[in-house]
Amino acid sequence: MTLNVTKEGDQVTGFLAGRLDTAASQQFAIDMDQLKAEADKHIVIDCKELEFISSSGLRLLLALRKETMAKGGDVTIVNIKPEIKQVFTITGFVSLFKFQ
Amino acid sequence: MQTLTLHNDVSEMTLLAPFLEESCDLLGVQPDVAFQLQLVLDEAVANVVNYAYSEPGKEFQVTLDKVDSTLVVQVIDQGIPFDPTTESKTPDITLSVEDRPIGGLGIFLIKEMMDVVEYQRQGDSNILTMKKNLA
Repeated sequence: MTLNVTKEGDQVTGFLAGRLDTAASQQFAIDMDQLKAEADKHIVIDCKELEFISSSGLRLLLALRKETMAKGGDVTIVNIKPEIKQVFTITGFVSLFKFQ
Repeated sequence: MQTLTLHNDVSEMTLLAPFLEESCDLLGVQPDVAFQLQLVLDEAVANVVNYAYSEPGKEFQVTLDKVDSTLVVQVIDQGIPFDPTTESKTPDITLSVEDRPIGGLGIFLIKEMMDVVEYQRQGDSNILTMKKNLA
């Protein structure tokens, strides 16, 4: 699991790659701090290279979403694979994020 | 039957994906079901790793088998008695961002993905059995 962050004006993009499962979640929780620090901005989570997500991963994305809600930013998820989006749908997380 | 022995250490959960990939290949499980199994086992194994034992270094087993057209997955540990099928409340998936609690999704996802989810305490073992009809 890797997270690469780029910034351009008011938009911050986090590129997720690999598996966002329980084994990866401890490190991802630390990596996410760089996105949480930008919670007042438009955050794009690019899932093009994301292969898998479990509830541990959803939990961390929800924590980021809550942070942006508190600080006036937002989170948009892009390039998500259908089988991963299905996990968002089943859990109702699909209504908590914007998707493009 | 395919069997994986793990210790209650979260770093060992990286062994789940290759085990499932190999097992699903051998049993002829379709990719969409294999993806669901990854999700189900990540949740079920995380429960054991995080809660079953008070000491590190304990072993437990994950098994995968196909009986006729039913896929049978079991997680077997010798930890404290714990029935995840009755302990967990169904999360309210309609809540807003502010109200949505962080967590409580694991067993819900398992029940959504699998057709049968059963718990048994046999001797000193917790046996979580999850079945999916492939027909």
